[in-house]
Amino acid sequence: MPKLAIICVDDEPVVLNSLKIQLKNEFRDTYLYEFAESADEALEIIEELQAEAIEIAAIISDWLMPGMKGDEFLIEVHRQLPHVTKILLTGQADLEAIERANHHASLLSCIYKPWDGKELIETIKLGIGTGTP
Amino acid sequence: MLLEQTDRGRGDILVVDDTPANLRLLVGLLTERGYKVRPVPNGKLALSAISLSPPDLILLDIMMPEMNGYEVCEQLKAGDRTRDIPVIFISAIDEVLDKVKAFSIGGVDYITKPFQIEEVLARVETHLSLHELQKSLEARNEDLARTLQELKATQEQLIESEKMAALGQLVAGIAHEINTPLGAIRSSVENIDEFLSSNLENLPNFFQSMSLKHRLYFVMLLQYSGQNHFLSSREKRKLKKALARQLTSEHIVDPDGVSDTLVDIGVNDNVTALLPLLKDTNRSAILNMACRFANLQDSTKTIITATDKAAKVVFALKSYTHQNIGNKKTMGNIIDGIETVLTLYQNQMKYGVEIVKKYTEFPPILCYYDELNQVWTNLIHNALQAMENKGTLTIEATQQEGNVAVVIADSGTGISPEIMPKIFQPFFTTKPPGEGSGLGLDIVKKIIDKHHGKIEVDSVPGQTKFTVFIPIACQEDKERA
Repeated sequence: MPKLAIICVDDEPVVLNSLKIQLKNEFRDTYLYEFAESADEALEIIEELQAEAIEIAAIISDWLMPGMKGDEFLIEVHRQLPHVTKILLTGQADLEAIERANHHASLLSCIYKPWDGKELIETIKLGIGTGTP
Repeated sequence: MLLEQTDRGRGDILVVDDTPANLRLLVGLLTERGYKVRPVPNGKLALSAISLSPPDLILLDIMMPEMNGYEVCEQLKAGDRTRDIPVIFISAIDEVLDKVKAFSIGGVDYITKPFQIEEVLARVETHLSLHELQKSLEARNEDLARTLQELKATQEQLIESEKMAALGQLVAGIAHEINTPLGAIRSSVENIDEFLSSNLENLPNFFQSMSLKHRLYFVMLLQYSGQNHFLSSREKRKLKKALARQLTSEHIVDPDGVSDTLVDIGVNDNVTALLPLLKDTNRSAILNMACRFANLQDSTKTIITATDKAAKVVFALKSYTHQNIGNKKTMGNIIDGIETVLTLYQNQMKYGVEIVKKYTEFPPILCYYDELNQVWTNLIHNALQAMENKGTLTIEATQQEGNVAVVIADSGTGISPEIMPKIFQPFFTTKPPGEGSGLGLDIVKKIIDKHHGKIEVDSVPGQTKFTVFIPIACQEDKERA
């Protein structure tokens, strides 16, 4: 059975590096981990994964990014993949954007930076436990 | 005023004359025309009647026993409440009328006896309405002075709230700028903590149980550590795929997983030297531990990068808000000021703004440094908004003769010729309600004026250029020197 993937999107490479270590420490090689510095890059990755028939378990996205913002990105993902767990990880919250993501992307949670590793992991576990079809 | 006059009748007139026949004549004449008339027979009674209730006009006979008309008038002109009541002197045609004296002590007109009815009425009417007009003008002036005072206070409030609004926007951006590195620091520390608490005890065993051959591979892997730290996510993915292809061709088990781990460790070229280890069935313990060590190094590097970043933002904030004591000029480096503002706007700019800087070195100048920072903030803020955070921001700072010249140019849609003359006017704004008070450029202009400098603007679609000139030695400094 092919592995499931977790995708992280943040325009700050330091955040992606930290997330990668955190996720791998927790989930080891249970998942594939993909990292993107923009929403566009993440959409490319999603396309590639689908071409390889790899399913996506969760997406963790920053909100304030160049080009497409986090809420817009997650709404787009939701259109394509309604069952994927979607989490916003943001340093500055635009309440309207979170509201939009809540309504139109069935956002699981919005976690604020600096984030607590345990909280993030628990949220992902909760999402994957309930969100996988 | 007209209404007031109707309410009170046509006007309150005091007639002062020691001749009863004259009094009766004037009272009859004026009462008939709708005026309220109070007759008094001498100067003393006149003064007490006036102080009791000041009339709108006084008809004052000159030749009276005890106190003549001139004396009455002089006393009236000396009193605050009575000074402005118009006085028309009455004089017999056969008396020697000192017209010059009548006017010089404050009379507004004179009438000669015997009266010509139409003349009396015309003069009374004229002076009553002049007096009313004067009173209404005074009231209006007072209103205007009060309104001006209120406007000044409101303007100061608006300038203050404009500053606060700009600060609010900055703070929102800065929250992101600070929280992002903080997030990276915190999770890196958690990673390090997790590694130490779950591996430290086992490390001696791990190393002891390693064969000599594996120990060499382990050291080899550690030497790669950190080499991929600054690769972009795209580059890493490319590298991972290239390694996976190489591993597949070498018939390595789980090429994708292994290449992922290798990229994490820092391997960035061919893996030929590592192939014997990768083919070893016991490879995973070595690879995983090397990966954990690489992560440790990655985490510390992340902390250093993130700390520098947060410190830079804090430093920028600090220099942005550093206060001048007593609003005195200080020596300030203009380029440092511009760079500070750019750091604060970094967050808004990294999403599609290319910055072109052309600086030439010049010494610090005596200036209101914080206020100039406000100028750069306003101009950069406007420039970013004009191009909706996408385009090229050009900043030049050069020395030109006796001035520092700063150019801030954007590649936005430009300012149309119709609104160009208005842009420095207070309260003029093209922004939607609530987003700008229209005071930004007004404040900019005031600060530049304070430096005896000037600001020029030049705009065509695709480029709007503001040029600020700040004299290196200001007017007042020259005067002082």
